[in-house]
Formats: sequence, C-alpha cells, structure tokens
Amino acid sequence: MRQPEVRCVEFVEQVTQWLEGGLTDEERLLFEEHLAYCSPCSRFMVQFRQSLALSRMADGYMRQGPPPMVRAALQDAFRQSRR
Amino acid sequence: MLRVARSYVATREAAEDVVQETWLGVINGLDRFEERSSLKTWMFRILVNRAKTRGEREARSRPFSSLETLDLLDPRVDEPAVDPSRFNTHGRWAGYWSSPPSVAALPEDSVVIAEAGERLVAAIDGLSPSQRLVITLRDVQGLSAAEVCDLLQVSEGNQRVLLHRARSKVRATLECYLDDRAGGA
Ligand SMILES: [Zn+2]
Repeated sequence: MRQPEVRCVEFVEQVTQWLEGGLTDEERLLFEEHLAYCSPCSRFMVQFRQSLALSRMADGYMRQGPPPMVRAALQDAFRQSRR
Repeated sequence: MLRVARSYVATREAAEDVVQETWLGVINGLDRFEERSSLKTWMFRILVNRAKTRGEREARSRPFSSLETLDLLDPRVDEPAVDPSRFNTHGRWAGYWSSPPSVAALPEDSVVIAEAGERLVAAIDGLSPSQRLVITLRDVQGLSAAEVCDLLQVSEGNQRVLLHRARSKVRATLECYLDDRAGGA
C-alpha cells in the first residue's frame, strides 16, 4: 500500500534528513514529489539552502585566521605531511 | 572557535582562554598529529576537551552550567522547524501552509548578503548551546556528520535533530530579514 503523501508540515521537518541522505527510498520519493509540486515548500527549500550558504560564510575564525605563530607552525606541518 | 568554546563555558573571557590554550595545544601537539583525522577535526577535539574541562570546573561553582544544558541533547522535546500556526489545522488543507514563505531568494547584492549574514551570525549565537555547537561545527566549519558525532559523543540521530532545529531557526531568521526588506524598503 502506498504511504500517505508528505504534507508541508512534514516536509519542513525532513529537509535535513533529505540533504544528508537519511531518508528511505520511499520517503525520499514522497519528499521529492512534494518538493516538485508545492511552490511554498520549494521557496522554503531555497531559503534553507541560502541560509546554509550564509552559515558557511559566518566563519569568524577563518576571517581572522589563527595567530601568525600558529599559522607558521601549521604551514610547516602541512609541508611535512606532503613529503 | 570562540562560538564552540562558548557552548561549554560561561563567559567570553573563559572562552578566549580556551581558544588560546587550544592554539598552544595545537603547536605543542603538531609532532604527534597523525593524519588519521583532518587537522581541523583534531584542532576541534583539543578545543572541545579543553572547553569541557573548563566548563566542568566552572560548574562546581555555579548552580546551572552550560554543560547541563548541553546534556539536554534531547530530541524528545518537541520543537517544530516552523511555527505550527503557519499551517492549516482543519479541513482538506490541514498540514499545508496557511502562511507560506513569501520571498524566495536573497538578491545577489553583496551589501544585502553581508547584512543577512550578520543577522544569521546573531541567530546562531542565540541558539541553545548544543544546537549552536552542532551547526557551528557542521555548517560553519564544514565538519562531517560522523566527525561531529564522534567529537561531541552524540548519536547520529540526535546530531541530525539538533542540526535541523538549528538550521530551521537560522532559516527563519533569513525569512524574517527577507520579509523586512520586502515590506520596509
Ligand atoms: Zn508543501
């Protein structure tokens, strides 16, 4: 028997699982079917992905970088590991 | 790194200490560093261990510790990704949006993107310690699910629930920002 379709209220809870490949084949099909026909949920998905992309930019440590002394030591280590 | 440390310790000063100690640990440990894990994961392992130790020390002198909050890695508490009032509760369309997201996309404007980014950082900083930890390690630092589960000693399922809740709140912040822009400006 076919499972009940995914509604929006379920869809929004499954996004991370879907992105991580954590849904079963059947769940994935139902999820993707919903995504294909529900435009509010596809807008939700765009926002979700955009906020993911923004999170990746939110890296204060990368912007500042490690202290210079540490950076030098790390570069050394990388050079050695590549040998 | 500060954001991760803050999840375990009470003050910004303590977190800064932990980050300092971590850099020292990284330098001192470089010879022992093997390539079984990425350098980044290894560095976070040092960071989390130091922050935990520090947090435990603090916990003895405080009634409530961030560590206790952290132990509430408890997905049983129901916390929906989207405010339930935004879905229909009755009739044929029950469970479907009644108040759907209106604006889909962020314009490709670097000023707007930077402004949205600032809101998102504030949103991440405002999350519960465990959600903040997971989203920082996964989405900001780019560690894998397996690395984060190992580092924080959480199950794959709990890691995913925490990540989804954190991401959902961050998305909601972006939506608010987009709506503000569309409405206000
Ligand atoms: Zn939908």
